[in-house]
Amino acid sequence: MFEYGFMQNALIASVLISILFPIVGVFLVLKRYSMMGDTMSHASFAGVAIGLILGYNPILCAFVFTALCGLSIEFLRDYYKKYAELILAILLTFSVGIGITLVSTGKAGANVNSYLFGSILTVTKDDLYIMFVLSIISIVTLLSLYNQLLYITFDEEGAKVSGVKVKIINYVFALLVGATISVSLRILGILVMSSMIALPVATSLQLNKGFKHTLIYSIMFGFIDIILGLVISYYINCAPGGTIALTSVFVLVFVIGSKKVLSIV
Amino acid sequence: MINIKNLYFTYTNSKPYILDNVSLKIEKGNYVSILGENGSAKSTLIKLILNLLKPNSGEITIATSKMAYVAQKVENFNAQFPITVDEMLNCHKKVLKLKDKNLILKSLQAVGMEDHAHTLIGNLSGGQQQKIFIARSLIGNPELLILDEPSTGIDIQSMEDIYEIIKGLNQNLGITVVSVEHNLKAALENSTNILEMCHGNGILYNIHDYKSKLSEERG
Repeated sequence: MFEYGFMQNALIASVLISILFPIVGVFLVLKRYSMMGDTMSHASFAGVAIGLILGYNPILCAFVFTALCGLSIEFLRDYYKKYAELILAILLTFSVGIGITLVSTGKAGANVNSYLFGSILTVTKDDLYIMFVLSIISIVTLLSLYNQLLYITFDEEGAKVSGVKVKIINYVFALLVGATISVSLRILGILVMSSMIALPVATSLQLNKGFKHTLIYSIMFGFIDIILGLVISYYINCAPGGTIALTSVFVLVFVIGSKKVLSIV
Repeated sequence: MINIKNLYFTYTNSKPYILDNVSLKIEKGNYVSILGENGSAKSTLIKLILNLLKPNSGEITIATSKMAYVAQKVENFNAQFPITVDEMLNCHKKVLKLKDKNLILKSLQAVGMEDHAHTLIGNLSGGQQQKIFIARSLIGNPELLILDEPSTGIDIQSMEDIYEIIKGLNQNLGITVVSVEHNLKAALENSTNILEMCHGNGILYNIHDYKSKLSEERG
């Protein structure tokens, strides 16, 4: 199946997002901010709709819009310190409002579905270049901020006292979440994006390891979920978003089941 | 070490101030326990000293930048958080841009936890976790150590160990200690000074004066 150009593109894109998603996901989940992925993926819907209507690259438009949403989430955190999830609901509502309003005008074209559910047929070379650049920038930035991000995730107050520029790093991280979401639009689809932020990390947490191992296992599970889901979607001829989401749930259940069996034996 | 002048603070940006014209001076090498009823702004005062909160007006001058903090409860930490002792200490060391490879081992030895470097923090008891957080605070060789109720929720033996460690840091290494306390006995046994917070203000006592005051009050 990988002799086809579209499958090669899809495979390269999948490898990129299977590395990127769990790295972002592990920080989001441990900050108890997994729903941020949901909000940001809905924000990307608004970005895609704007791009399709105005005739710009939808992935770039999604990146700009999700980045703005990410920055707004960080900005508004000061106003709802103890109710951070409210900010997510506010921005999700705003984004879905824009997305539905624009798409329902009929001017966005027929391929909105490919962004909602993911589509391996539609990953073009141009998309790949954008995905590649955003992924590399994101991975390098995340790795260079690794210690600061880990400190903030574990103990934000302690990080401030130790001189970490918490506010700036939180803003940079919000931009990276935006980039990650935009990069994955084509393969995962808007509707299952947040599951890929949480599921590989949730699976990895079952192994009770330290942070570095949790991160490595998350990438491993993310890779298995995405590649297996992609292959299955090719053979049963359906959107990859659904099969990737289902695979990630089955892998989680398999790991929990194996743990139970091993503890009995 | 710490000089506070005419400090005013309120969370609501309107009167009454919960810290109302506080002025005091904490000398280098002192072990100051902050006592007071719930809501007397003890924790607020240390957060202002740590620059985690901004005063409405007034000035706080600290004579060192080598300051460390041990919180009552680490905000995002829970028993399932996947981080080992070594990872947390290493992260702190790297954030402080320190290179010495032995720093982590030395800090763990200082609190008697060197055998737990590779343990998940969530698998440790409350007392052991608190020792690890004290070990973290020692990595940057602090001159000022600020603690918020260091013995909350831990067993008696661990409590004694922790006060022994803090007292040792103060007496042997000359680290200035400022600790919010709910434990009067520990405060009286270990401190050189007591800062009593009441009605938005604080009075700093020498430990002997404070003990005399207590005996007079108790008749």
